[in-house]
Amino acid sequence: MLFKDQVDFVRQHIKKNKLRVFMTILAATMGCAFLIVLASIGFGIQDTMRKEILQDQAITQVEVFPSENEELNLKEIKAVPFIGAIVQRTSMDTMTSFHFEDRMMSGDLRLTDMKEEEQSNLKLSEGRLPKNESEIIVGYHFAKNLWTDAERIKVEEGVEEADLPKGYEKSIIGKEVSLSLQPYESDGAFPERWDFTVVGVMENPAKDWIVDSSILMDESWLPKLTAAYEANGEQVPEIYTNTKIYTSSLEHVKSVTKDLKDMGYNVFSVSEQLEQIDVFFMAFKIGLIFVGTIAILISSIGIFNTMTMAVTERTREIGVMKAIGASPKLIERLFLMESAWIGIIGTLLAIVISYAVSFLANWLLPLVVGAALGEDEFSDLSITFSLIPWQLVLLASAMSIGVAMISGWRPARKATKIDVIQALRQEL
Amino acid sequence: MSSETGGKKMIKVKQVNHTFLIGKKGKEKKVPVLKGLSFEVEKGEIVAIIGKSGSGKSTLLHTIAGFMSPEQGSITVNGQETANLNETERAAFRLNNFGFIFQNFQLMPGLTAFENVELPLKLKGISAKQRKASVKQMMDKVGLTEVGDHYPNELSGGQQQRVSIARALITNPPILFADEPTGSLDSETEQDILLLIQNLNQTLGVTFVMITHDEEVASIAHRTFKMRDGELVKGDLQ
Ligand SMILES: Nc1ncnc2c1ncn2[C@@H]1O[C@H](COP(=O)(O)OP(=O)(O)O)[C@@H](O)[C@H]1O
Ligand SMILES: [Mg+2]
Repeated sequence: MLFKDQVDFVRQHIKKNKLRVFMTILAATMGCAFLIVLASIGFGIQDTMRKEILQDQAITQVEVFPSENEELNLKEIKAVPFIGAIVQRTSMDTMTSFHFEDRMMSGDLRLTDMKEEEQSNLKLSEGRLPKNESEIIVGYHFAKNLWTDAERIKVEEGVEEADLPKGYEKSIIGKEVSLSLQPYESDGAFPERWDFTVVGVMENPAKDWIVDSSILMDESWLPKLTAAYEANGEQVPEIYTNTKIYTSSLEHVKSVTKDLKDMGYNVFSVSEQLEQIDVFFMAFKIGLIFVGTIAILISSIGIFNTMTMAVTERTREIGVMKAIGASPKLIERLFLMESAWIGIIGTLLAIVISYAVSFLANWLLPLVVGAALGEDEFSDLSITFSLIPWQLVLLASAMSIGVAMISGWRPARKATKIDVIQALRQEL
Repeated sequence: MSSETGGKKMIKVKQVNHTFLIGKKGKEKKVPVLKGLSFEVEKGEIVAIIGKSGSGKSTLLHTIAGFMSPEQGSITVNGQETANLNETERAAFRLNNFGFIFQNFQLMPGLTAFENVELPLKLKGISAKQRKASVKQMMDKVGLTEVGDHYPNELSGGQQQRVSIARALITNPPILFADEPTGSLDSETEQDILLLIQNLNQTLGVTFVMITHDEEVASIAHRTFKMRDGELVKGDLQ
């Protein structure tokens, strides 16, 4: 029998039992769409979280820490391919205060190599990077935390967050600030003061709750600052160094992370985080797909029923077909095609419906959640609740059509086993 | 498929025995239905097998057609020992060698007269264009030109049997089996159908094996075998 004729044959039979076939397709559609939509939530949330991570920090950044009692071998690290910059920021375990007019703030002083900072693409919200030793850049919240003595006392007495003093509200760029040092145990600051010009303000940290009141200054200051301790008869404070490595581009983060790990360092990078998230979501998605598969299996019972009924109903016709020379293989194929057809149409409908549901969810849910929380901001957030990658469509289709064919297989076998003589004896 | 015996003998039935088991499992009774039957049918003959209801005629036909295998004996059709074929080969053999006419026509209710006749050609994998031409020709031959697009339940018994005959002949099989072909028809229609069979036998040279309980129907046969209780009792025995 020509393939076209087989298709015709199947179509004719389906037409004869439109309602029954339609209901079966509906069940198959619902099963498959349920699987796709359910799993799409896993893909969607994963996507949102990945985006969040990539947004939140310098994505080319790789933090590296030596193991205990060991040091970083910079030479060795420099030899790793695709490293763009190695930024080492040094801080001292001491109190560092900055004074401006009648205002003052205690910030985190970091000493660094400005050349490397530049190469690492350090982003500023205002101004530029320092060009000489007397220039510094400050954290985004530096000026806000420059308080007068009166303001400081008020804060110490306790105020609501909204009532916090606004600090210095004009631009700090070009202003001269002076630094004083004071060991934690000591009552007063050293008499020495060092003056600097603020030339740049760093970017607002991506996470709202981070307060950046740090100060970046050229590393050449370190010996001068430590010398002050000796001059005042105090012990030089402990000095910490934090090393961040920046790869030349995002795609090299993974290889650099791996190379540094192989050297025995503790490494923390975006690719590490992403990997952890991916592992978690892989498990999550497998769970969702498993639950969705149950829906497909339930719908397969419908297909099994429909096909069994189809075979029983057509026993006589199958007998006639066999009598006039249809091979058992052909009979089997015709029935398998019918169940496959149910599976394919059901799956196609399911794909269309799933995309529609996914689209609606991504469009409506942020609005609904935003309205519920009374925050307009929320609706602006591009949160992906549901994402349907083609792999998911492929997997769900294969499962849905496969299950349809498997459930049609037994009825089809049954059709081939029909005894011609018995079938012909059936009353019309 | 050419016959090994020179093309003259179309069907050779040798010492065919068959016993049915009836009754409950464990308490079956043996019912011998075919008891050592032997006969031959020549090419181009109309042979009638006549006998009372229950004498085993249909069972005999079913064994020859390959719907079932007899317990014992050999059946050779058109030079082919049918016992040697598997299910799939039997189906193909039937498609190429046999046409069937049944008492209750056995047409596909969902297909038109035209499509019913077309069905064996579809099974053979013949293209729609070629099918259309030969079905049209065959419909004319059996006098169904007008009713091609009617469904079986829109046709009279005689017309349905004509459709069934057309379907049996459409692949040009060398052998046609008819089990009580006029059993469901009134006597006038019966005469039409018998004339048609005679006519087709003469013009196409098809071999007919016809089963009937009716002496009058058997009268169109060249030879008649009489069956009683699973044995051939009288007639042109070989
Ligand atoms: N499948 C079967 N199982 C048991 N007995 C059967 C079966 N088929 C036919 N018979 C019996 O075999 C005998 C012959 O039947 P059949 O060949 O149909 O006779 P006929 O066609 O001459 O009327 C009958 O007694 C019938 O009851
Ligand atoms: Mg009978």
